[in-house]
Amino acid sequence: MQLGEGLAKQAMKRQRSVKQRALALAHGFILCIACLVVLIPLAYLVINSVKLPREFLTVPPTILPSAVTFEHYRDLFEDSKTLRHFRNSFTVTLWTTGITIICGTLAAYGLARMRLAAKILAGVTFVFLFIRFYPRVTTVIPYFLVMRELDLLDTVWAIIIGQLGITIPFVTWLMLVVFQDLPREIEEAAVVDGASVPQRFWRVVLPIVMPSVSAAAILTAFLSWNEFLIASSVARRKASVLSIAVAGFVSDKGIQWGPMAAMSVVMILPMIVFALFAQRYLIRGITFGAVKG
Amino acid sequence: MILFVVPAFIIVVAVQFYPLAYSAFLSVTDWVLTESQTPKGFVGLENFAKELSDETFRRSVRNSVYITGGALALQMTLGICLAYLTMGSSWRMRAIRTLLILPMVIAPVAAGTLWRILLNSRAGLVNHVLSVIGIKGPEWLAHPDWAIVSVILLDTWQWTPFVLLVVGAAIASIPDDLLEVAAIDGASRWQTFLYVELPLLMPLLLLTLVFRMLESLLSLDSIYSLTFGGPGYSTYTLTYYIYTLGLRSFNFGAAAASSWIFMVFASLSIGLVFWYQRRDW
Repeated sequence: MQLGEGLAKQAMKRQRSVKQRALALAHGFILCIACLVVLIPLAYLVINSVKLPREFLTVPPTILPSAVTFEHYRDLFEDSKTLRHFRNSFTVTLWTTGITIICGTLAAYGLARMRLAAKILAGVTFVFLFIRFYPRVTTVIPYFLVMRELDLLDTVWAIIIGQLGITIPFVTWLMLVVFQDLPREIEEAAVVDGASVPQRFWRVVLPIVMPSVSAAAILTAFLSWNEFLIASSVARRKASVLSIAVAGFVSDKGIQWGPMAAMSVVMILPMIVFALFAQRYLIRGITFGAVKG
Repeated sequence: MILFVVPAFIIVVAVQFYPLAYSAFLSVTDWVLTESQTPKGFVGLENFAKELSDETFRRSVRNSVYITGGALALQMTLGICLAYLTMGSSWRMRAIRTLLILPMVIAPVAAGTLWRILLNSRAGLVNHVLSVIGIKGPEWLAHPDWAIVSVILLDTWQWTPFVLLVVGAAIASIPDDLLEVAAIDGASRWQTFLYVELPLLMPLLLLTLVFRMLESLLSLDSIYSLTFGGPGYSTYTLTYYIYTLGLRSFNFGAAAASSWIFMVFASLSIGLVFWYQRRDW
């Protein structure tokens, strides 16, 4: 009797472990599929960028090319037009990030230390939220007209200024939360020592919040580098940037698959590097507002 | 202190609020740049009336609803599932999470281009894979309905990681003892999810939903490089429609009017997000 019970228990245990193993297997399998769904398209893009021209549009598609060629990349970097796109993208990203970090950090510090009433602070937060999410296509047309009036159309400055309108509020919001969490006692010692406000900010506060400033800088660079709407509405030729160039391959007659893939790789790569090495910073920025803090 | 805020304030007013007011002015003005260099005058709400009965405008709204609705349903479901499947802090899970979030950091224009290559009906990888398992793949980008599906797939591929991240962080913050109590009370894993975790996660899930809804409605880049609105008008979304109306046909009045119709809806959603963030849960 007891023996029977023991056997039954054992059988049950074995059954459960079989079930568990099956579940673990399914778990691993699903994760595998998910990873493949992410990786294969990316890998295929890289493969396409080093494929021989005659291996495009074959049926079935050429998955493993017979030879690796860097001609598409060479073409990209020998073409003065694409070189200009690169230069413009770099210029825009650098200036946007620089100005945003300076103005945004200062404004956030100011707001955090102004002892604003809770109601006003809530209003300010609402403005940030609104700017983050209102249909930007609304302001793109007037912005185009303003730039036309100022004779700034098709210049990198038209793109930079337009992007600043998005990135500055965003960074101010991000840094505001950081400064609000910073205990005032840290500064009080400096006040006693007779430090002026700029000295306090520069010597005491800034070094402490430096990690958050880097996070904000990485996020701004990410937004600016990938940005398309503003760039494409105010700069189409001389000041055209990478995002416009990548999108432009579609409307051109006869898609040049090789250069298109190569340029996409060049555009994606810096952001992948960010994602792998500065993941926490980048994610904090992208999900900011959805996740508190 | 106020001096610290001044530069940012000036830029935001000049680049956000001034154009916003300007656009409100345009919405009640008759102005087509190809016909006249200056506004032709005040027309009241005529632009709004015209847009609301315009066939392409209506179609764009419908397309937006299909695309955003489909994409949200898919990415919320997949994102929540994946968040549960990638829980934990082992190096393996962390590596998988790092990998899974990659689509999110890719420039949307590049993602559109990439999927354009993959979805090519004759020589694309997707239809090749389908044919290997014995399914004849559709004409993804050339058929009006499948083009919509293509846009949904792209949005899902790119933004499921966002849901995964946000929901993953929320799950990790649920206290363990709560789940233990449920387990001691004899609740199954599924019951625990349904009656303990889901109610706790609900506010955040709603917030994520509205977040993604707005971003999906507002996105222009990926459609621009994936379908270019086509074939015909079949993947024109509201944003894409306003963009082409304003900056291709230069019909500023009509574009501004339709963007303000859009704005009303967006503002309501933003208000909802704001309200949700302010209350504590």
